[in-house]
Amino acid sequence: MEKTYTRPKSLQPLQSGFCPGCLHGTASKIISEVIDELQQAHNALLVLPVGCATMGLLYWKVDMIGSAHGRAPAVATGAKRSHPSSLVFTYQGDGDLAAIGLGEILSAANRGENITVVFANNSTYGMTGGQMAPTTLVGQKSTTSPSGRNAETEGHPIPMCELIKELKSPAFVARYALDTPQNIRKARAGIKKAFSYQLEEKGFSFVELLTNCPTNWGLTPLQSLEYMQNHTIPNYPLGVFKDKEAKE
Amino acid sequence: MSKQLMKGCEAVAEAAVRAGCRFFAGYPITPQNEIPEYMSSRLPEVGGTFVQGESEIASINMVYGASATGTRAMTSSSSPGISLKTEGISYLAGALLPAVIVNVSRGGPGLGSIQPAQSDYLQATKAPGHGGFHTLVFAPSTLQEAVDLTYEAFDYAERDRCPVMILMDGCLGSIMESVSLPAMKDPAEFEETKWAVGYNGQSRPTRIITSIYPELVLENNNKARVETYARWAKEDAKAEELLLDDAQYVVVAYGIAARVAKQAVLALRAKGIKIGMIRPITLYPFPKQSFAKLNSANVKAIIDIEMTIPAQMEEDIALATHCAIPIHSYGRSGGNLLDDDGVRQAIEKIVGGEA
Amino acid sequence: MKNILIISGSGGQGVMSIGITFAQSAVKAEKFATFMPLYGPEQRGGSAKCTVIVSDEEIISPLPSKCDTLIAMNEQSLKKFLGELAPGGTLIINSSRVTSPVNREDLRIISLPADDIALKVGSAKIANVPMIGAFLGYTNALDSEIFLNTLTEKFASKPPQIIEMNQQAFQEGFAVGQAAKANA
Repeated sequence: MEKTYTRPKSLQPLQSGFCPGCLHGTASKIISEVIDELQQAHNALLVLPVGCATMGLLYWKVDMIGSAHGRAPAVATGAKRSHPSSLVFTYQGDGDLAAIGLGEILSAANRGENITVVFANNSTYGMTGGQMAPTTLVGQKSTTSPSGRNAETEGHPIPMCELIKELKSPAFVARYALDTPQNIRKARAGIKKAFSYQLEEKGFSFVELLTNCPTNWGLTPLQSLEYMQNHTIPNYPLGVFKDKEAKE
Repeated sequence: MSKQLMKGCEAVAEAAVRAGCRFFAGYPITPQNEIPEYMSSRLPEVGGTFVQGESEIASINMVYGASATGTRAMTSSSSPGISLKTEGISYLAGALLPAVIVNVSRGGPGLGSIQPAQSDYLQATKAPGHGGFHTLVFAPSTLQEAVDLTYEAFDYAERDRCPVMILMDGCLGSIMESVSLPAMKDPAEFEETKWAVGYNGQSRPTRIITSIYPELVLENNNKARVETYARWAKEDAKAEELLLDDAQYVVVAYGIAARVAKQAVLALRAKGIKIGMIRPITLYPFPKQSFAKLNSANVKAIIDIEMTIPAQMEEDIALATHCAIPIHSYGRSGGNLLDDDGVRQAIEKIVGGEA
Repeated sequence: MKNILIISGSGGQGVMSIGITFAQSAVKAEKFATFMPLYGPEQRGGSAKCTVIVSDEEIISPLPSKCDTLIAMNEQSLKKFLGELAPGGTLIINSSRVTSPVNREDLRIISLPADDIALKVGSAKIANVPMIGAFLGYTNALDSEIFLNTLTEKFASKPPQIIEMNQQAFQEGFAVGQAAKANA
């Protein structure tokens, strides 16, 4: 029989330790498939932040730099400027990128660094146990917003794509969801575009992936997908926000 | 090589470039702005990269990223900015990455003063970040020494895969003196590191630079540090010793304070006072060897001169002398500079009181 | 021989630039030199002071308590730094801006209207030049030719009138210094 499916080369042949139903695994898989497709397994340089994404140090099979909380875009800046031939990308969660690392992400985007940022947004701090993130939805419960996020005191969720698209420098800004096979395919295409832009030296690319956290949301994997469809996606509209190469 | 008059910050920056530094990131803060300013025009001339970071934290993390690719990298700041960089310095230490950090220190704590002070001794030598580690700390006293130590710092950083700090105060940053600059090194001729990330077309196993480890690996790394620090103490500690043989009083001072103190020591010797001096050049490792030579039967007192209040080096002096010799201290702080008469009179007063 | 000079004035009066030129000239003359600036927090208009030490021997401390010569470009800096001039020292005053009397008996005072001289030769901005001219005319700190060469090199890319202007301003100050020396 013909072999039609195989494990991506840029991932280690291991079982991941992500929680059951977590979409980090799916995100890692489609990113690594794109890396393989673009023949970049021996050229990719992944900068990992702090959070569940840190566990990627065990799962990925590419060169990696583990960085401090929120600082991945700054670390990636130093790495890419010093080693421009590498495909440099970060894979950051929402607590990391949208709270403590807000300065680093906006500044790297504004400089138009020729790097790719993949932003996994599951509206919670996963690894530390489900605290409120800057992306937590209004009304969504967390361990630090037990009655649900209150917009009056905690503000509204930060829409990163909408913020970054306002800057002049970024080349590609898009948001996808990983809730259905169709959406996953779209996300995969978006990641491929972002990486291609970097290889073509078009500048900063930003791909937000809406994901889930069944463990900290207190839902079954299936319920978490429904939550994404009923709550997350309506709050975070999908689509391409900016594409320098798009025809008018 | 001919000597030229250079400004402290610029001389240090040029020394770094000549040592093969090809990446610099920094953030404006007085009194070290001439370093990033100089680098912003100088590095592109030699194919290097200058980035003005959005903060001190971002800048040290850019250095972390550049260093991870095997590029000689540096950042500079002044006291409050170094506090912000301590996060990144700890990650550099944890990830075993070389880097050179220059602190052109000023008055503190807090925003303190933009004027020069030696207020960061404890931070530099005891805890330049969380996690219990040390960096090599070099404390130049003249501009020539600042140039030479900066030039060497990159080699030390690479040798032991660790951050190295150049601790100089605002006086040395802004002073102009004549220096002779060392030869230009070509990074293309450096041996390729065995650990740097970023492929160069070769086929090899993947590499990871990180500061998070499984428990046993981390403990082993920590244990390795014990050996490194012991080796530093044995082989790399440096000090200038002056007139110690018959000294009844020993002045201890580093950096700019040491120059003022040396002037005083020579003046007091001329008056017949048996006084000598130890000038630590490495603050970490602290040059204990020089203190081991002091005989507590001969030496009546040690006088610690620092441009900060309270004295910070005193604890290390006490340890190095096993508390066997009384220690007095004199300093100025807040951006008020030490001066020749002030230091000489303070020493005379202590000597008079002891006699 | 060692000479400690403090040049003081307000930001914009060329205190630092003339101090640097002096130090550079000293290095050219194969002497040792240190230039130590002291800035206020203001970018413009605040106080400006620099200490330049020129010596035949290596300079140990760059932070002397007293200077041999004080150049005061304005009233405020005279008040602020007069205490740092050693007994028997030389005070060089810009009389265009300093009008109040000096309450010290132990000094040699050289007074010249540096702003007026500068204006006369063509630019109000170069009052620093006659002041250093007077200093070099009075002391033997440095061969004035070497200083003038350094100053000229600095303006090498500028129109020749600029160089002439500076040379003229220097000579006027130098003459004041020499006259004071002759009367000493």
